[in-house]
Amino acid sequence: MRFDKFIRPDNLQTALKYLQKDKDAVILGGNTFLRLSERKYTLGIDISNLKLDYIKESKEDIEIGAFTSLRTIETDPIINKYFSELLPESVKHLIGVQFRNNATIGGAIYSRLGFSEINTALLVLDCELEFEDHGRISFNDFISSPKIKRDILTKIIVKKQKGKSTYTMMRNANSDFSILSVAVSNFGYINIAVGNRPALAKLPEKAMKLINSDNSKLDETADLVAEELSFGDDLRAKSSYRKLITSVLVNRALRKVLL
Amino acid sequence: MKLKLSINQQFYNTHIDGDESLLDVLRNLGFKSVKKGCDTGACGVCSILINGEPTLSCQFLAARAEGKKITTVEGLGAKADKIVKAIINEGADQCGYCGPSLVLTIYAMKKELKDPTVDKIKHFLAGNLCRCSGYEGQLRGIKKYMGVK
Repeated sequence: MRFDKFIRPDNLQTALKYLQKDKDAVILGGNTFLRLSERKYTLGIDISNLKLDYIKESKEDIEIGAFTSLRTIETDPIINKYFSELLPESVKHLIGVQFRNNATIGGAIYSRLGFSEINTALLVLDCELEFEDHGRISFNDFISSPKIKRDILTKIIVKKQKGKSTYTMMRNANSDFSILSVAVSNFGYINIAVGNRPALAKLPEKAMKLINSDNSKLDETADLVAEELSFGDDLRAKSSYRKLITSVLVNRALRKVLL
Repeated sequence: MKLKLSINQQFYNTHIDGDESLLDVLRNLGFKSVKKGCDTGACGVCSILINGEPTLSCQFLAARAEGKKITTVEGLGAKADKIVKAIINEGADQCGYCGPSLVLTIYAMKKELKDPTVDKIKHFLAGNLCRCSGYEGQLRGIKKYMGVK
C-alpha cells in the first residue's frame, strides 16, 4: 500500500472530514493487513492521536477504543475478568506479540476480514459498534452487511453478561491464521459463531434455534451447524475438511458452556 | 516530510516519505541490526522496542514513530550481554540473523513476565522465527536466563 500524503489529526471531526472529502483517502489503523495491498491512496489518515486506545468498564458495559491493540485485548485485566475464555483466546495465537502490539481491534472489525478470529468471538456477545458519523450499530448488523462506508469506527461496546463463553479453533501451525474458528456463549440464550470458513464469521440461525429449544441436542446441533453454513477452499484447508471439523469444534464448545 | 526520531536515547532528524516503514528508515539511518526478512509481518526479525514494547518495524509507519522511544539492540548495550551469553553458551546463535530481534524480545519478556514458565516463554517468543530452526538451543539458553527449570 502506498499513499501520497500523510496526516495525523488530533480530533475525530477533522479525521472524518478528510476521509469523506477524498474517496482515495484511507484510515491508518494498525496497518498490518492494509500495507500488504498493492493499492495506492492519495492520503493516509493516521488515527493514533485520537485517543482511541483504551478499555473502560462501566456498570453495564465494557468499552474498547477502536485503536486498542490485540495484545491489550489479550492481557487486559478487565477483558480477562469477564471474557477470559473468549476474547483473549481469540487473539493470543495470532502470529506473535510483536504483531499483536500493532494490530488493532478496530482494524480487524472495520476491514471485515474473514480470517480475523476476534470477529468470531465478538459475534456471540451482545456487542455494538460506534461510528463517528453513523452512530451505533449492532456488531452482527455491521458484519452481515457492509452498509457503513467512509466512516471511522471509534469504539466497541460489549455488554457485561453473566454466563459462560468459550472459543476454540483449528490451525495448521501455531501462530498461523486458523482454518476454522468457533465461539459459543451461554448467557441464558446460546449463541454459536463460526469463522475462518474462510469467509467472515456467521451465526447459524437454525442450529441456534435447535439448541435453545432443547439443550440436550448437542450432537444434532453441531452437525446442523456444519450443514447450515457454507465453507470455502484456500491455501490452508479445503471446504470439505472445514465442514468436517466444524461439527467437532462446535460440539466441544457447546459442552464447555452447557455441561 | 521531516521527521525527528528518538532512537536509543538519541535524536535523529531525517526526511521520509509518509508511507515509509520504520524498518526502512532505521536501516537507512544505519541501524543494520534491524533485519528485513519477510516484510509481511510474519517472521519477527525486524522487531524493535517502541516505548518498551516489542513491535514489528516493517508494519510500523515511520511517521507514526515521532515522539516515541525506539530501541534497537544497539541501544541495549551491556543490558544485552547476559542474554547474548545465555544463547551463545548453548551454541544457539547459529547464523545470527534472528539474533538482534530475539535479544530485544527476550529483554522485553523478562520485564513483562512476572512468573515465567516454559509455556509462557514459548508463547511470548512465537513471533520470532529462526531460519536455522535453532529453537531448542535458544530455549535452553533462554530458560537459564529467565531462571526457569
